[in-house]
Amino acid sequence: MNLVRAELLKIRTTSLWWIFGIVLLPLWALSLAFNWFQYRGSSPAGGDIVDDAATPVAVASDLYTTGQFFGILMVLLIGAILMTNEFFHLTATSTFLTSPRRGQVILAKYAAAAIAGAVVWVVLTALNLILVPLLLDAMELGSQLDETAVWRAIALNLLAFLLWAVLGVGCGVLLRSQMAAALTLSLLYVIGTQAITLVFFLLTQNVAEWIGNLQVLVPVTASQLMISGTDLPGSPPQWVGAVVLIGYAVVTGLVGTLITKSRDIS
Amino acid sequence: MSGADSAEIVVERLTKQYRQLKAVDDLSFSVRSGRVTGFLGPNGAGKTTTLRMLLGLVAPTAGTATFGGRRYVDLTDPVRQVGAVLEASSAHRGRTGRNHLRVVCAAAGLPQSRVDEVLKLVGLEPAATRKFKGYSLGMRQRLGIATAMLGDPRVLILDEPANGLDPEGIRWMRDLLKGLAAEGRTVLVSSHLLGEMQLLADDVVIVAAGRLIQQGPVEAVLGGAGTARVRVRTPQPAELTAALAALNAGVQPESDGSLMVTGVEPAQVGNAAFRAGVELHELTGERADLEKVFLELTAGKADIR
Ligand SMILES: Nc1ncnc2c1ncn2[C@@H]1O[C@H](COP(=O)(O)OP(=O)(O)OP(=O)(O)O)[C@@H](O)[C@H]1O
Ligand SMILES: [Mg+2]
Repeated sequence: MNLVRAELLKIRTTSLWWIFGIVLLPLWALSLAFNWFQYRGSSPAGGDIVDDAATPVAVASDLYTTGQFFGILMVLLIGAILMTNEFFHLTATSTFLTSPRRGQVILAKYAAAAIAGAVVWVVLTALNLILVPLLLDAMELGSQLDETAVWRAIALNLLAFLLWAVLGVGCGVLLRSQMAAALTLSLLYVIGTQAITLVFFLLTQNVAEWIGNLQVLVPVTASQLMISGTDLPGSPPQWVGAVVLIGYAVVTGLVGTLITKSRDIS
Repeated sequence: MSGADSAEIVVERLTKQYRQLKAVDDLSFSVRSGRVTGFLGPNGAGKTTTLRMLLGLVAPTAGTATFGGRRYVDLTDPVRQVGAVLEASSAHRGRTGRNHLRVVCAAAGLPQSRVDEVLKLVGLEPAATRKFKGYSLGMRQRLGIATAMLGDPRVLILDEPANGLDPEGIRWMRDLLKGLAAEGRTVLVSSHLLGEMQLLADDVVIVAAGRLIQQGPVEAVLGGAGTARVRVRTPQPAELTAALAALNAGVQPESDGSLMVTGVEPAQVGNAAFRAGVELHELTGERADLEKVFLELTAGKADIR
């Protein structure tokens, strides 16, 4: 518990958190505007519903989880930086002198990253709960806050933030270099997923149908599946997405812990 | 606190093999409590590697290093038992010195009030709320010492703590460490500032090329190697040389006209001069100094590997 407090203090005592805050808020605003324009056309008031998925509940779920894409990226990076900082700033010496049981330090980082993820989720969700009802009203859909499906989406969104934060720490252990970790993770997250989706699309078209089922193994796809269900071929159940994410978090964490335990700090 | 005469730190057959070289090679020594022990060796001798193995940061290839019989990683409350200031002791560049100490306090479960106490101890209060990246080398060294003292440990380990300290800082640190040893604590300090070590250390452990060269109390090490010398100045060098030859002393004329006498005590030289009726203008006993002994002991082994 002391270690978790120390890790949280590490986050709070650097400029990291407010820099991320400053970056995240405009991105959230952009996402909200984007979602709003996307759905405005398909509201019942607008006449025809183009997309089957765009039921009022689905629209509301999507809007209430606005900011997820960038929020999760931030949380992923916070988790990774929590780890890479130790080597970048040579604080690993001080950290492991204070707590020579390295496995516990990494567990504490998991917990701290998860808490940071939860905080980001709380902020984004609060903003959404304030603003989204106004947008929904404008679309004449009502706030939809009496729908359990909407609340489930919001809760699953929290789960996604927690899992990605933990995944971030695991990745941070594996990619020890600060720059490498930040760049690799951002690029993989933003571009890599699109590229892999394209690859899967081509494979499915040209090689075999069943390969499409593997697409759930892509972390971003897995978290989308977990939160909202997707139109993946065969539509695996939502829990599969959660299992895939937890699997990644556990594997990176275990491998990372083993590496960190055997590593010489010099 | 364990008995004052028991060895607090025991290093036994410690070895670290890096890919191409043995940084530490079958090294054994022990460090007693209540004394300052200097850990000396030329560049690349393996001092830092040894200290890092002692502190569980680097895994030994073979051998053990223990505090009162337990490895660092097995200590129940390491921060309260052992404090360390390592060469690269560092804090996050964007964090203030004060916050750095708060983080360590939180992790070790120490009361936050310790932060202000150690800041005061090292005289870093004025800079406490400035960021680490703006610290001078000496301030960083002081923050390192403050960090090590947070848990009020009975064992202190410092790697080149004098680096970057000004003369006043060095003196302050010497007094601090001597004071801590006088309280019965164990202090192990690595350094190659031999003049400073002669003032500070009670015991020395000398290593070169990863191996132990000598260990023991400073006087014993100084006495064992290199003989003491006596410098004399006289208007009658020939008579004095003859008188000293009877004592089997070595006499060497120096360029400044004085004579350097080896193998006898200053009193014996004075006595011989008195008996021979030789007038003396200077008679100075020169203690063998640590630097000379160190260079003698490590000669030929000191090359950087
Ligand atoms: N991580 C490492 N990988 C490979 N070799 C290393 C590593 N760390 C140290 N060495 C080598 O081990 C030897 C001992 O290094 P160490 O830093 O322990 O010496 P030192 O006595 O502290 O020297 P100095 O007085 O210069 O600080 C050196 O030759 C060094 O190059
Ligand atoms: Mg060194």
